[in-house]
Amino acid sequence: MKALMSVGALVGAIALLLLVGMILDVVPSNTVRLVEGYMPIQMLLEVACFVVGFAGLSYMLSAMGMALPRFWQGIGFWAFVLLYLKFRVYPPIPFSVRAMYGTVSLVAVFMWVSANEDDWKKFKQPIMNVLDAQSGANKMLRYAYLVLIPILVGFTSFNAMKPKSEEPVELRTVHPAPPASTKVAGKTYTLQTSQNPYRVNPEGKFDQEYSNKLIVEQGMGRLMAPNANPWDEKNQGYLKYVREGGEIFFQNCHFCHGDNLNGRGLHAFAFNPIPANFTDPGTIAQLQETFIFWRVAKGGIGLPNEGFPWASVMPPWEQHLTVDEIWKVILFEYWHTGYYPRTWD
Amino acid sequence: MNTSMGKKARIILASAFGLALFSAGPLVFTASAEEIPEGFKKGELAPEPPADMIEAGKRVYFTKCVWCHGVDGAGDGPGADRLWPRPRNFNQGTFKIRHTASGELPLFDAKKPISGQNDLYETVTHGLPGSAMPSWEGILTEEQRLQVLAFVTTQLVKDRKFTDKQSETQTILQVAELKPKEASEESKKRGGELIVEKKCIECHGMEGRGDGNAFNLKDDWGFSIQPANWHKCWNFRGSRQDPYNVKNIFRTFSTGVNGTPMPSFADNTSVDERWDIANFVNSLCERDAEGNPLSIDPQTDKPKVNFVIPSNPVEGEIPADIENEAWQKTPKRIVAMGGQITHKPRNFVNRIDDLWVRSLYNEKSVVFLVEWDDRTKSVAEGKLPWAPTQVNIDVKEQDPKTGEEGSIAAHQNNYTVYNDAIAIETPVKWQDLPAPIKPRYLFGSNEQYPVDIVKWEADGSIRAFLGTGWDQDFQERDNYQETLKVLKSEWKNGRWYVMIERPIGNKKDQDYDEDTLFEMGKYIPTVFFAWDGHNGDAGRKMAVSAFYYTFLQPPTPQEVYIYPFVIAGGIVLLEAWVLTRRANKRKGKTL
Repeated sequence: MKALMSVGALVGAIALLLLVGMILDVVPSNTVRLVEGYMPIQMLLEVACFVVGFAGLSYMLSAMGMALPRFWQGIGFWAFVLLYLKFRVYPPIPFSVRAMYGTVSLVAVFMWVSANEDDWKKFKQPIMNVLDAQSGANKMLRYAYLVLIPILVGFTSFNAMKPKSEEPVELRTVHPAPPASTKVAGKTYTLQTSQNPYRVNPEGKFDQEYSNKLIVEQGMGRLMAPNANPWDEKNQGYLKYVREGGEIFFQNCHFCHGDNLNGRGLHAFAFNPIPANFTDPGTIAQLQETFIFWRVAKGGIGLPNEGFPWASVMPPWEQHLTVDEIWKVILFEYWHTGYYPRTWD
Repeated sequence: MNTSMGKKARIILASAFGLALFSAGPLVFTASAEEIPEGFKKGELAPEPPADMIEAGKRVYFTKCVWCHGVDGAGDGPGADRLWPRPRNFNQGTFKIRHTASGELPLFDAKKPISGQNDLYETVTHGLPGSAMPSWEGILTEEQRLQVLAFVTTQLVKDRKFTDKQSETQTILQVAELKPKEASEESKKRGGELIVEKKCIECHGMEGRGDGNAFNLKDDWGFSIQPANWHKCWNFRGSRQDPYNVKNIFRTFSTGVNGTPMPSFADNTSVDERWDIANFVNSLCERDAEGNPLSIDPQTDKPKVNFVIPSNPVEGEIPADIENEAWQKTPKRIVAMGGQITHKPRNFVNRIDDLWVRSLYNEKSVVFLVEWDDRTKSVAEGKLPWAPTQVNIDVKEQDPKTGEEGSIAAHQNNYTVYNDAIAIETPVKWQDLPAPIKPRYLFGSNEQYPVDIVKWEADGSIRAFLGTGWDQDFQERDNYQETLKVLKSEWKNGRWYVMIERPIGNKKDQDYDEDTLFEMGKYIPTVFFAWDGHNGDAGRKMAVSAFYYTFLQPPTPQEVYIYPFVIAGGIVLLEAWVLTRRANKRKGKTL
């Protein structure tokens, strides 16, 4: 038990140090500093780690006879949640949303400290002490609060009332529901039944199992599988088309979606938000190939009503590419990110 | 102590030295020509990377790099012809960003990924901003980055050999040991004088915006290149994701940029002078109102963008003088620009990549002050061959694969020159659009949700259009044009300063829907378009911004100064109540 708790304490101490480093800008932002692009699972796991760490820390402190009063535990945890949201996540969460999370976590902290009568008493004891002002220090504190609280509240309300100009929050439907079919270059494609005509084995037959074996390896770097080089002259079928798709990608798409398909191309900084990141497991990995076909062919202009705001500048690629070229690009995107397209079953 | 002895010894020494000099004159002279410049030291060539690393690097190369750099590393991959600058041709072993003396190979050791001692590793790690080369940190592991470089340096660099002691030397700039000189006013002043004396301004321009001699510069492969704009340090190729660090400038200035007309100044400047110049150049990079470096967005390695453009109220006439206090006080926003690549003709290389926008308003009109760097002032010669309302002008698009001669990079200085221009687009009926909805980005959604476009061109014209869709010609609004005014338009040392005044809109008639009503305290979606005439920009070949918001700041109402006091008073009463209650309760208990 004790060993387990000391491990927890160690985790807590290191994590706290890291967070402080991030807040003070000591840890550079391009290392471990930021959870980029709102990754909920990573964030939840991290917060869970912190909680375990804090439990360990508090156990160790009380074992060493320096137990932290419940009052400060509550306040400290709430402050931690606020700081985590502000400094750990990138792009920054707007204040209004952070205020919402802050309120929810405040309620949670209250529920925690008032779980039973004893705890609640312990929690409010310091407040009562100040109110009663039995000791000199408490008396001083009481007068300080008496003056400081009105000033603070007055100042905050002045700031809140002053006219301000913050960017309005926009909610986006990331994956709008696709239509049943889409018409591209005079031909109608039913999304449920269409297949990528280039996902074929060397004999020219549709073969997803074959192509799945030849995509790049997951894990750091996402490198091509050994002996599956799309630039090999002898390729037939899938890998040959991957190369052709890659050529089209690097003549048309990388300007926005980036050389590594992570949405950080040459023009990315002119966007708000930056272009889709295909290496994120939340984008193409979640979708069927035909959905991508529809999105690529119709672009931002072809978004259905629920896909608002129409701020997307994704070109309707049917204006620039042939149907064959679109299928090949999609083939390449799945190959390069190492994801399998979802199937309908 | 014994001065005569000392003197004698010195004379003997001097004459011995003189004799040596005399007898071996020519020899000594060649030696002094090869003298190591100040701040440099001789270094050893790194050993050849092991074969397994080279083999592993090939796999990295053919997954990630081949698409731009090509199968043989000649910088001719599928992506190359639509890029400017073109991807590096590795074959000659010419690399730009180095710690080594001019003309030498860069530092590369496959076993030592140490910053400051491994130039190629740092290039792959941090990318080359302002080009298509991204940062590979976080994408490839440290080992993979070294592997791919092992492959490139041994297999794709063909004309030189990194390990050949006969032909290669390494003279290394000792940046780590040289302490930067403090960027005092004096140092910057001296730097400012030195850049004139050393003729830096001939290429980089009077204000350092890269506008001097801009069209006559070519790299080793004959492609047009342009001098760096010192005001955009985040676009310095050698900025190493740390653009405001003066060491980067010191390094580039000391070593030169191989393959380009940028020479090394190591031989004709002292280290001290180089720090002065670096301090001066660094001080030119854009900073915020307080003089602090702009914060850089880690997702894009460019300055962080604030999408709200606040417009301050002005009593009476809006001044046309930028130095006026009202303009100095209103916030300045960077507007990031990308190439228009949604509809044909697409603009793959936009030479305008940001604008700086400020705005003021009074009860009648709103004024936008737009400043942007453009190395050339472009005014179309003769009449344009199309009507200004036409949007689908047939400017030929760059073919995807043309070979070097037909590539964008080869075209850079022989486009037909059109007008430099700027346009501001706002939706006409933004009030009818539910909060998050915006009109179609390019030229409006349809007849029902059109956009209002005000366009200024370098020939001095200002026009108003109604846009009803990306594929529709504009409708020219002749009667509205009379209400528009250009308060200022000036091109100076590589920068445009344009001030456009337009009516604030019709406030009385709710159904009025011909132009945008700029309502105070509301967020008006605003898009900026920019054309660089020397880039062949015309029609839809242009640079575009995302949606920004123009926000006419309401004057602070009286209540803001009253209510906080009322609230604070209320809190005092509340405190008194809590304290009395508590005291009473305790009394009750003790009684």
